[in-house]
Amino acid sequence: MKRGKHQDVFTERLPGKAVPEAKQLRKLAGDWLKLRRADAELSQADLAARLGLKYYTFISQVENGFSRVPTEIMGAWANELGIEQSAFAKHLLMYYEPELHRLLFGAESK
Amino acid sequence: MSVVAFERKQNTGEWSERELSTILAALSAATAPGTGREWETGVTEKGDVQFYLLSPLPDQACELCVSRIGGRYILEDGMGRLLFEHRNLDLVALHAKAAVPSTSWLMVRAITLWCAIRSATDEKLEPMLLEGEELFVQFVPQLAAFA
Repeated sequence: MKRGKHQDVFTERLPGKAVPEAKQLRKLAGDWLKLRRADAELSQADLAARLGLKYYTFISQVENGFSRVPTEIMGAWANELGIEQSAFAKHLLMYYEPELHRLLFGAESK
Repeated sequence: MSVVAFERKQNTGEWSERELSTILAALSAATAPGTGREWETGVTEKGDVQFYLLSPLPDQACELCVSRIGGRYILEDGMGRLLFEHRNLDLVALHAKAAVPSTSWLMVRAITLWCAIRSATDEKLEPMLLEGEELFVQFVPQLAAFA
């Protein structure tokens, strides 16, 4: 949940389509992950514990759209949410690397 | 009648002005204009506050995250690696400052400028040096003959 914001003057002036896109897509991925976690009836703390994380703060970091699910724990994350690993990775790739997802699976595939 | 003194809790809610100032003071170089970095705050599902230092555009991904859980401050990087934790925010802020990737945009600009100046001066100086070297080679035998 985003509440505060500081905008650098330099970055505000920079134009470009890709600028908000990466951030927005990460946020969408975070929202999806949050829903899937709720489906699995896990709290952020539950998921963190199952993934072997000392604190659940990283789960929040990812679900708030500021970080990605690291590749090395993507499989375990999928398992804990009860989702097939390849389907989970494929779905996240759509948000994290949309162009690569399009090249690999085509525009129709989700 | 006695009053039981409860410990004043600041576990959830928002960052205090003092806390934000401490973090931002430590990260002042990292967030200086021209670096392209931004920062944002957020909360966990339990209402614990988080501070995110974001990388420059286009990614704007989290480079560092400071969270406050039960009066304890947690410093993590953008990959979820736990870098430091302590009850003292000043200490955590110092570690955050040290953990910021050091190659700043300003430093890159300075190095690029230095290379450009050096390249330009080399282009002008090199012919002069070569000319001098040729003259020297021509005059050395004559000077040797005089000696």
